Amino acid sequence: MSFARTAYVTFRKDLAIELRTKEIVTTTGLFAVLVALVASLAFYLDASRARAIAPGVIWISITFAGLLAMTRSWARERENDAFRMLLTAPVPRAGIYVGKVMASFVFACVIEVVLVPFAAMLFRVDLAAVAGPLLALLALGTFGFVVTATLFSALTIKSSARDLMLSIVIFPLITPSLLASVAGTRELFGGAPIADVLDWMRLLGAYDVAMLTAGAWLFGPLVAD
Amino acid sequence: MRPAMQPDFEEVSARGLVKTFGATRAVAGVSMRLRAGTITAVLGHNGSGKSTLLAMLAGLARPTRGEILYGSHPIDVVRGRVGVLLHASMLYPDLTARENLALVAELHGRGEADVARVTSALELGAFLDKPVRVYSRGQLQRASLARALLPEPRLLLLDEPSTGLDAASFAKLVTTLRAQREAGRIVVLVTHDQTLVDSVADVVHSMTNGRLAAEAAA
Repeated sequence: MSFARTAYVTFRKDLAIELRTKEIVTTTGLFAVLVALVASLAFYLDASRARAIAPGVIWISITFAGLLAMTRSWARERENDAFRMLLTAPVPRAGIYVGKVMASFVFACVIEVVLVPFAAMLFRVDLAAVAGPLLALLALGTFGFVVTATLFSALTIKSSARDLMLSIVIFPLITPSLLASVAGTRELFGGAPIADVLDWMRLLGAYDVAMLTAGAWLFGPLVAD
Repeated sequence: MRPAMQPDFEEVSARGLVKTFGATRAVAGVSMRLRAGTITAVLGHNGSGKSTLLAMLAGLARPTRGEILYGSHPIDVVRGRVGVLLHASMLYPDLTARENLALVAELHGRGEADVARVTSALELGAFLDKPVRVYSRGQLQRASLARALLPEPRLLLLDEPSTGLDAASFAKLVTTLRAQREAGRIVVLVTHDQTLVDSVADVVHSMTNGRLAAEAAA
């Protein structure tokens, strides 16, 4: 089976399970919304300061909800040792990785469709004025998180200290992407010239390409015994 | 690699297999030769290393030392020609058996006819469209065996295949294993079930403390 076909089959499998259970999107979506709501109650002072706080709240919500989603997604692979069905098939393992990335990216986007307008309403952000660049930042930042978290969540298939490993390995590795996402969104909400925002987007793009390449290359050895 | 491009093989040879987990030596120097059209049973107490040996033959665990050749090929070249049934079913619990088998068929470049073949052979019809999560132990075992058989593997590795089966299902398992032997496949059974061994095994190995203690013709 080709790389692309393997990725598609893996993606379609994850999507089919999620459409049946609705577990990841529902639980992590509610969690993300709750984080934004709590932050708005705790930190809201006035409209101007609210806009300054909004980037941090949005990206913290996305990161925590994303980690929760990733944990649940790989718990499904561990149950019944189902992931071995994929590993024993004569398919390129990089294709399995890309399929998992695609599915996690779609789940994260669905959560953001609810979270971002909700946070914008709470923190008085005029979404219409920043929609285009914000969508690009969200896509690049989320993709960076997903490619990194998917790669190292695969390690949890074998490790008994999986939650500890997730925290120790993933948080340091997503830091560049997370910082660039927050800084880019801060510039955007603060009314900075688009060129300044583009600098952060380029950084995010470079991170995404580097991590996707590393992920496709490392995934096979990481999931092998 | 597509199944059609994966080479066939007539025997599997394992030489000097050792597998350690930290300070524990689960398999301590096993050499064996498995031939086409033969059902080989490996007996032994819990913790004797049988399942670890099976995992290495399946390519799911890398030997610490030693080598396994499938014909003249390493596992990466023939991965799609190896079917494996372990303690865990390797089925997604939120999908039905039909969906799981369709996924296996697609991953192995097979089609609906192959799904129909194994569901009919193992009589999965009554629960085929229910989520795997609600299956009884016996139903799960039959669905898992169907998964292992679907790609028509050259080497079939079965860990305790009779677990949870009622008398009718056990008889079906025996018939299925004999059919695999008739088809010239290489079958390895790891089991405590002496009745199953007596019913189908051609060669019996006994395993103790990670070593094969004896070989006998059944």
